Amino acid sequence: MHRSLIIPIFAISLALIGSAFTIDKVSSERTELRQKEGIGVVMPSAVARIAALEFKGILADVIFSKAMTYYGGKIIRQEKLIDEEWNWIYRNMDVATDLDPYFLDPYYFGAMTLAWDANKVKESNILLEKAFKYRYWDWTIPFYLGFNHFFFLQDNEKAAYYLMEGTKRPGGSGGLLPTLAARLSYQGKRTENAIVFLQEILNKTEDENIRWIYERRLNALKGILFLERAAEIYQNRLKKPPAKLDELIAKGIIQEIPQDPYGGKFYIDKDGSIKTTSELR
Amino acid sequence: MNAVWSVALITFKEGIKNRVIFGIFIIALLLFAATTTVTTLFMRDIVKVAVDLSLSTVSFAGLLTLLFIGVNLFGKDLDKRTIYMVISRPISRSEYLIGKFIGIVLLALSVVVFLGLLSIVPVIMSKRFYYYTEAKFDWWIYFIAVIYIFIKLAVVSSIITLFASFTSNSFIALVLSLVAYIIGQSTESVRELLVSQVEKIEVSPILSYMVEIAYYVFPNISAFDLKTQAAHGLSINPSYIIWTALYAVFYMTIALAIGTLAFRRREFP
Repeated sequence: MHRSLIIPIFAISLALIGSAFTIDKVSSERTELRQKEGIGVVMPSAVARIAALEFKGILADVIFSKAMTYYGGKIIRQEKLIDEEWNWIYRNMDVATDLDPYFLDPYYFGAMTLAWDANKVKESNILLEKAFKYRYWDWTIPFYLGFNHFFFLQDNEKAAYYLMEGTKRPGGSGGLLPTLAARLSYQGKRTENAIVFLQEILNKTEDENIRWIYERRLNALKGILFLERAAEIYQNRLKKPPAKLDELIAKGIIQEIPQDPYGGKFYIDKDGSIKTTSELR
Repeated sequence: MNAVWSVALITFKEGIKNRVIFGIFIIALLLFAATTTVTTLFMRDIVKVAVDLSLSTVSFAGLLTLLFIGVNLFGKDLDKRTIYMVISRPISRSEYLIGKFIGIVLLALSVVVFLGLLSIVPVIMSKRFYYYTEAKFDWWIYFIAVIYIFIKLAVVSSIITLFASFTSNSFIALVLSLVAYIIGQSTESVRELLVSQVEKIEVSPILSYMVEIAYYVFPNISAFDLKTQAAHGLSINPSYIIWTALYAVFYMTIALAIGTLAFRRREFP
């Protein structure tokens, strides 16, 4: 071999080994760094609108999918999101829908997770109100708004208003919307109404990742309804409300207390209503 | 008129022969291919994402063509001194410049037509994959948006022509055109921001005055951006189409007129 070749070949092989070794280290360092980075700052809408030039739609897609991926990663690792992270998700959805105010996915994802997982009904409603304004043809938006008002805010009047607005939109007059709006004007039967509502939402949901959120809630509500009916029977039979759920079993009204899918335990509150220690969270 | 046309055809042929255009087409094809995979990551508005990506690809490829090939087509004649051969012929300098402009516009047209037709494929595929019942989409609006990409590229071509008419170097023309494009794309948003005052920033009157000037001097390119409308099938008023098209025609006329005036007085090295 020519002598002048020896040094370059030696250098190249050394560097190859070195680079193979270091890239491994770099990737593990990067993973650690990115985990510490966690959530980043959110670009303000005004800046994003200017910086995106003509690619506002794409920037909206990117911001949305980044937040969704972050949420997904947390769910897969079975970690709970902290308040700060939820605020970050909300702001991202807000910016994404400022860039493209007709884009359904950030409204949908943001409103669902914020209301159901984060207990941030106010933020969820702000997003949905924006969607209500821009997606003027879409009856599902007032439907979700109505649900939020009925279920989380317990404001039946407003919920009925949104549902009626939904029936005015194409495609909204069929299905359960008009019936639901009518049912809401009756007080009471909260749990039953919620189950009907949720069943309708589930029928409209194809995404498996979203479905399980609803299915879990639906199962919990079915458990509550089951216990409520049992308590009613107890009341009719013994002319006094049960103090504990165990009394329902003792009197032979039910065989066993259903399990709370959220991992809590059902109990009877002082006012006689059925609650759970998990608070459905 | 014959002279203008022959310059235009030569410019167009030169542009099409350029190897860079293959690179641009390959980038566009890869982006179209990526569209079908990327859309599967979304939840419901999948067609919207596909339309976003497809139209942006067409627009991006058109811009690359103009900035990397269009600008060079002007510079080449000067750099290689072939301009002497042209101006010694019975053709006026204005005819030469307008011919060059038309040649570049033809180049942009062929890119938009080719990629615009090709961009249908990822949209159809994503529609097959999943179409949310409450989504709106309309092929008519989609094609109007494609036509508006071409109009936008034509306006950018006129700016390139203007800058190429007086700069001595094609790189300077490229930088100036790029800056003009960026300003033209963002003046509307900046102006809106200053007027709305939502962000509660203290704005000096000089700044808002400058923004106002920039808004009228540079073309409002964002007016030709109908991607959102195409993505959501939102109807566009006929009056919008008429006024924006007229605006484009007038703006191009101004840019070309100033360009020819500058080019006539220019001295070649």
